[in-house]
Amino acid sequence: MLQNMIDSSMKKSPWIFHINAGSCNGCDIELVSVLTPRYDAERYGFKLCGSPRQADIVVVSGPVTMQSRERLRRTLAQVPEPFCVVSLGSCPRSGNVFKGSYAIDGPLEKYVHVDVSVAGCTPKPEAIIAGLAQAAQLLEEKRKEARK
Amino acid sequence: MTNVLLYAVHLFLFPGLLFIVVMGLLLAGIDRKLVARMQNRVGASILQPWYDFLKCCGKETIIPRHARKGLFLGAPVACFVILISAALFIPVFGGLSMSFEGDVVVILYLLTAAGVAIIVGSAASGSPFAGVGLSREMVAMISYELPFVLVLLAVGALCGQDSAYGVTFSMDEIVRWQTENGSSLLHPAMIPAAIAMLFVIPCEIGMHPFDIAEAETEISEGTLTEYSGAPLGVFKLCHCVKMYVMTALFCALFLGGLSTGILLVDALLEVVFCIIVTFLCMTVPHAICARFKVEQVFKFYWTFVSALALISLLLVWIMR
Repeated sequence: MLQNMIDSSMKKSPWIFHINAGSCNGCDIELVSVLTPRYDAERYGFKLCGSPRQADIVVVSGPVTMQSRERLRRTLAQVPEPFCVVSLGSCPRSGNVFKGSYAIDGPLEKYVHVDVSVAGCTPKPEAIIAGLAQAAQLLEEKRKEARK
Repeated sequence: MTNVLLYAVHLFLFPGLLFIVVMGLLLAGIDRKLVARMQNRVGASILQPWYDFLKCCGKETIIPRHARKGLFLGAPVACFVILISAALFIPVFGGLSMSFEGDVVVILYLLTAAGVAIIVGSAASGSPFAGVGLSREMVAMISYELPFVLVLLAVGALCGQDSAYGVTFSMDEIVRWQTENGSSLLHPAMIPAAIAMLFVIPCEIGMHPFDIAEAETEISEGTLTEYSGAPLGVFKLCHCVKMYVMTALFCALFLGGLSTGILLVDALLEVVFCIIVTFLCMTVPHAICARFKVEQVFKFYWTFVSALALISLLLVWIMR
């Protein structure tokens, strides 16, 4: 019974850690607006946390620049299982307008399995909330799978 | 036999473990909800701290390579046990579970020891962020400790004015004086001390405007940087329990005269007044203030708050 309660609370308290992998700051501001009183993602239990050790959902924005590549890899290695990776905006998936630049080394799939990807440049806060909610559902499934 | 049974009930059920943990989680949930409502948000459910704790228990526990394993994992447990034992000395209005001469000093020491357990845990994690966090935690402790002691002295001087030494350090004595002469909050000399105590509570717990040690955006959670999984959950639970311990201490020190003698009514009164105190001293500053700087906290507590507590102490001596 306790295990079932833990499973169901997995999706009720997803803590977000945000990595900026060379983003133009547009998606970052939209992610912050998701947590403001207007959109209030906290009503689903979302909370921005400061350390990757405490994260459940890792949100990556930006086209993975050469500078941020190593930091991204090291940060992702510090997140405890089970966790979800959400790519925010078009940049982590395709490189967007930065595609072909000598300074980027994307896409994000090269480094980690992306669970949910929110498209747009920049995505609307509603879309971000939908993506995060989907990731929270995936967390519960991942935990159930890990138990089996 | 019944004595032992009663003792076990005291320890694990009513003023003990279960009641304290449930009250702590309830207060934390209500605080979060009220902050959300004050910011015109819907906010997380009242059960959110409970979900957070359960979720943390379901996560993987990572022990950093540079950490001292024993201390790193032992600190959260020590912190929790210390807080529970501190809560056992605090009367639920009339109903005392254990009391002896000088238990106010024991409560003071146990609350400090809980802070020290957090410091030890973060020092054992071997992270520079935790290092900054623990030095800030120490500054916070030095800041609130002086006004806290002064407040306890003021209450002790008021409630112990008939005793042999002119001051009492016994919770039992404090509550008894208040049931005979009315709550000490109604005494005019105690109003500055009560205000000072309302400021001490959020800093002691590390609530938002005073959470310099766990500043998540500046030093990535500070003392808790390296914690993950169940130990993190226990630390979060300690945070909730501390909310109950401090608000219950306020109720015992300043509202002890409201005791009716009926256990159930007393417990309900305790719940209601704990929520009111939580609202006044944690929710309101959280909703309207941004985080203070380290030196601002220190200055604020050693001047303004300490002065309030000192005024109270002097008034008690003068009005005798």
